Amino acid sequence: MVDAKTDVMQQVRQQAAITNARALVEKINEHCFERCVPTPGSSLSSGEQTCFNNCMEKYMGAWNATSRQYLSHVQKGM
Amino acid sequence: MDQLQISAETQQGLQNLSAKDKQELNQFVVGETQKAQIQSTIHELNSVCFKKCITGRMSSGSLERNEDSCMKNCVDRYMDASMLVVKNLEKMR
Repeated sequence: MVDAKTDVMQQVRQQAAITNARALVEKINEHCFERCVPTPGSSLSSGEQTCFNNCMEKYMGAWNATSRQYLSHVQKGM
Repeated sequence: MDQLQISAETQQGLQNLSAKDKQELNQFVVGETQKAQIQSTIHELNSVCFKKCITGRMSSGSLERNEDSCMKNCVDRYMDASMLVVKNLEKMR
């Protein structure tokens, strides 16, 4: 049996990860839909899908750049 | 964050935690909260800077060199700007 403290810690960690992933998915969809699907047709074209894949990867690359840069500020400030 | 699913067993266990465990758990939650706040700021910041910096065609999945430097500058200038707001507000007092 897992003790109460470990149980709560695991759940908090898991919830934090879910919240973070959900935010990332929402943002990617928001930006990439805007960029890649200017006029929605009856289905996603292969061009739109390629754009979406590239956009997604770029967004995550940008996220890492932002994260690194922001954390360097936060660490300097502390 | 969604609600935690605390079982009756865990609830019982929480009440019987030693003072040391209580303190550790408290510290853990404070730390996680701080992490979550930082992550949410990064999401917001990234959203703003992505819009400004990634303006070309999505022809590849990796960041171009100019896009990468734009992202870094964007974060730095955003921090400068937020400092400026605080400074100017202080002057108004």
